[in-house]
Amino acid sequence: MSKGNLAIIGVGEVPTGRYPERSHWDILYDICIQAVKDAGIDKKDIEGVITVAPQAQPRLTSEISFGKIPEELGFTGCKDVCICNAGGASTTNCLRLAEQWINSGLAKIVLIPHVTVQSTIPLQEVISFFATAGIDTQWEYPFGATFNGMLGMVAQRYMYETGTTAEEMAATVVALRKWAALDPNSMFYGKPVTIDDVLNSKMISTPLRSKECNVLADGGGAMIVTSRDLARKITDTPVFKLGHGGRYVGACHILRQDYFMEEGWRLASEEALAEAGLTKEDIDIFEFYVAYPFNQLVALEAVGITKRGQAGKFVLEGHTSPGGKCPCSTIGDAAGRGHTGSGVSMANYIECARQLMGKAGKRQVTGCEYILASAAGGSGMNTLMTVWGNKIP
Amino acid sequence: MKTYNKPLPTIQPWSEEFWKGTKQEKLLIQECKQCGSKIFYPRKNCPECWSPDLTWRQASGRAKVFSYSVTHAGVEEHFYEDIPFVLALVDLEEGVRMMTNIIGCKPEDVSIGMDLEVVFDHVTNDIALPKWRPVSS
Repeated sequence: MSKGNLAIIGVGEVPTGRYPERSHWDILYDICIQAVKDAGIDKKDIEGVITVAPQAQPRLTSEISFGKIPEELGFTGCKDVCICNAGGASTTNCLRLAEQWINSGLAKIVLIPHVTVQSTIPLQEVISFFATAGIDTQWEYPFGATFNGMLGMVAQRYMYETGTTAEEMAATVVALRKWAALDPNSMFYGKPVTIDDVLNSKMISTPLRSKECNVLADGGGAMIVTSRDLARKITDTPVFKLGHGGRYVGACHILRQDYFMEEGWRLASEEALAEAGLTKEDIDIFEFYVAYPFNQLVALEAVGITKRGQAGKFVLEGHTSPGGKCPCSTIGDAAGRGHTGSGVSMANYIECARQLMGKAGKRQVTGCEYILASAAGGSGMNTLMTVWGNKIP
Repeated sequence: MKTYNKPLPTIQPWSEEFWKGTKQEKLLIQECKQCGSKIFYPRKNCPECWSPDLTWRQASGRAKVFSYSVTHAGVEEHFYEDIPFVLALVDLEEGVRMMTNIIGCKPEDVSIGMDLEVVFDHVTNDIALPKWRPVSS
């Protein structure tokens, strides 16, 4: 039996997209109330709030860091509050910290929220923020480095080493957008694309075209977590965290030995699966959050679903799409959902919970029991893998 | 000199020599006197053995393209005038990798493995950025 002691018992989420009229606090109220109701608990049962740090929103970060959420929402039973920033890997670390608070007896039930509103930040300001978030201001930024440029270089090298074609690269977007098209909370709900749509979209940073890059969006989500035992008492559909693995890859691309993060993903998934007592063959869905679509290919190869250089063909054949034999990223990862800064991993874990609770609507993978989920921060500073299940193996 | 609006490197005490070097058209790589490690980017202490006893050695100025991306959009306004420009990772003969721009050729002529030589772009009176161009040019 796996060592962890954490379960998700309720989730809340607002649609992702550009909604300038929706304020941070509108979203925070909505997701927290939804999550508490979904868990079937009382708001006074929330004993801890650990928030995913929003990016590029300093005023909000300050309000949350200094304890505003429990007060606004009336969590009168709250014993402590904090914020966690590890970029896109923040949610994973919030879950780790929540587990510690629960095991140490500090809190029986913890709320983990995230909110991001980027549509009200001037575009140049957002570009500037992300041009120096996870990008070195001495050795990378003066040369015009951007996330798209950095990942463009990774993609270029990946195509060079593996022989993956532009069509296969584009197929990753098609697969993700098929999933997103089925997700009412996605910014691309009902909007699938074809390979031609992707290949005809504007070139941004070669070889990446606009539809292969992310669209910044507003959004928010929240999870209620507790111990396994309490989860079983509270709900009939607890979602158990079964395993965790991780590797630090490095901050600057110039120093990254594991340039594709392949070794990091492989080791992290092996560790997570070993802790869960499972193998990759037991996994029903691979919820990869790898930000850029082509990284789906690296993840598939790293986890051992295909051999190196074969993942492009695998995705092109539709195996990772809805109805495929290897469902991957069922909200469409960042490219399908809309990129909410540090919030994509929140959306990814909420989707894990929905699938395992049997509440994923048209995206529901029949008989889903176990999920492997990934997360990473910065421009790829780490590789984190977690295993989730609706039963304990 | 025309006003330079693009971001300049945030220089640290232990990287000052590097930028003094580029100003004099010398590409300097930090080296640890204790363990011999070649260090880039420059550090306060050697990342291998933590020795503070570090020195500088001039690089040959030769490198190969590890990867590159031609930027067409999605940059801050002050980079617009350079579009399309080549962002690249280059591997120096000394075994270190730098992020840079490849200039002196058409973006579509850049390829992985291409041989490069360093060229110093004196962007202000104080700062020269090391950039690279194809050896043949």
